[in-house]
Amino acid sequence: MLRRATSLFIPNRGVNQLVKPLVNIKWTRPQAIPAYNPEKSGDLEGLPNIPDNSLGKEYSLCEEIKDAPESVKKIFSVGHLGKKEYNALVKQELMDRVKRHEYDERTAETRIAKLTGQIRCLQDTMEKFPRNAKAKKAVQEIIDKRKKLLKYLRQYDYKKFEWLLERLNIEYKAHPESYHKLTRKESLRKLTEMHCDSIRQSKLSDYRNLLESQQGPFLRQKLDALKFIRNEQMDLQLPITVTEQDINKVEEQLKEWKIKDELKEQVKKKKKNILLD
Amino acid sequence: MSRHLADAAKKFLLLGQCVPTVKQNATKIRVKRLELDENLLMYFRKDDFYYCHDPEKKCNTGDIVLIQALPRKLTKLITHEVKEVVYPFGDITDPVTGKKVAKERYREDIDREAEIYGKLKSGFDYNKAPPRGWQDGKKDFTSKPTYTKFHVFDENDPYAV
Repeated sequence: MLRRATSLFIPNRGVNQLVKPLVNIKWTRPQAIPAYNPEKSGDLEGLPNIPDNSLGKEYSLCEEIKDAPESVKKIFSVGHLGKKEYNALVKQELMDRVKRHEYDERTAETRIAKLTGQIRCLQDTMEKFPRNAKAKKAVQEIIDKRKKLLKYLRQYDYKKFEWLLERLNIEYKAHPESYHKLTRKESLRKLTEMHCDSIRQSKLSDYRNLLESQQGPFLRQKLDALKFIRNEQMDLQLPITVTEQDINKVEEQLKEWKIKDELKEQVKKKKKNILLD
Repeated sequence: MSRHLADAAKKFLLLGQCVPTVKQNATKIRVKRLELDENLLMYFRKDDFYYCHDPEKKCNTGDIVLIQALPRKLTKLITHEVKEVVYPFGDITDPVTGKKVAKERYREDIDREAEIYGKLKSGFDYNKAPPRGWQDGKKDFTSKPTYTKFHVFDENDPYAV
């Protein structure tokens, strides 16, 4: 009995949902980007340009290979030796960019450079073989490690941190407050908030424009009134309450307003012209 | 009595760290405090956040600063002002010797080591380095808080992760 009575007065949820929403907000869910992607990891640069016929890292130190025939050189080239040797060259290239001295391998910047080399090589493999689970796991781990090292470097040596970002072409973004799965409700809430904010701002700016447009005529009126009062007081030999300074002040205000008004009108005209075009 | 206390409390200097914020005309300072849990009789960490007036942009994200309450609130939000930057972030000076430090070592020692091994041009030079902030907003996105990307906008915000 009671239920029937309440259902008469209170429309149930199904009916409520049929009502059109008041605010028309369209939400598009951002596409999921895998964590190993350069976009996410912050690598602004791909693999360095290393030709296929460059010699392997260890072999290039050898004396005999310098005057060896072409066919021998080809055998010891990166293209022939394989990906592993090529990756070693990539790592070396990146480490050479930041090395302090020749034997520098364990300082923060060289470690980060080495990890960057590894990441870029693995990103390349992931592009070719997106289902390679081992490589995927490896890149994610190395990216996290590099981020941690960058975080520490930032804490104890900010200048070097910035220099390193420039040198290795990496982007660094701080961790967000929380890593969580994106929900529809949260996104809609934020969008609605932004929508409300924009409405509030537009209303405020409209009101501001209205008030500012009234400022000029009022100032002119005030100037006239002040001058009139001063003249009357002088004529009737009454104590003068309006000084020259007051009048000058109002004149200056009027001048400022005129300059502002002109600028505003120019902007309006420009907008109109753009619309017409 | 309580008014005197409140006045005295306003003169206190607070030590806090600057944290990233979206507000453009104020800096957000985190002050770490300890709060007593009366049931456990144990102290737990409690963070207080203050928005501070800083017209000269003295402090950057991460700096340790001294703040003081303003005699009158500037806005509803801004209640304090930045007095002094005590420790700039990532640019630490040893208080005893007055030399610059990176982690647990003096910078000059690090330079000396590189010199003995044979310095290379590729290495980082402290004397040539520009002051902090030249990569801010270009490659270093730490001055504002980052957030999970929730919508596809026309303009891509670098702070959306």
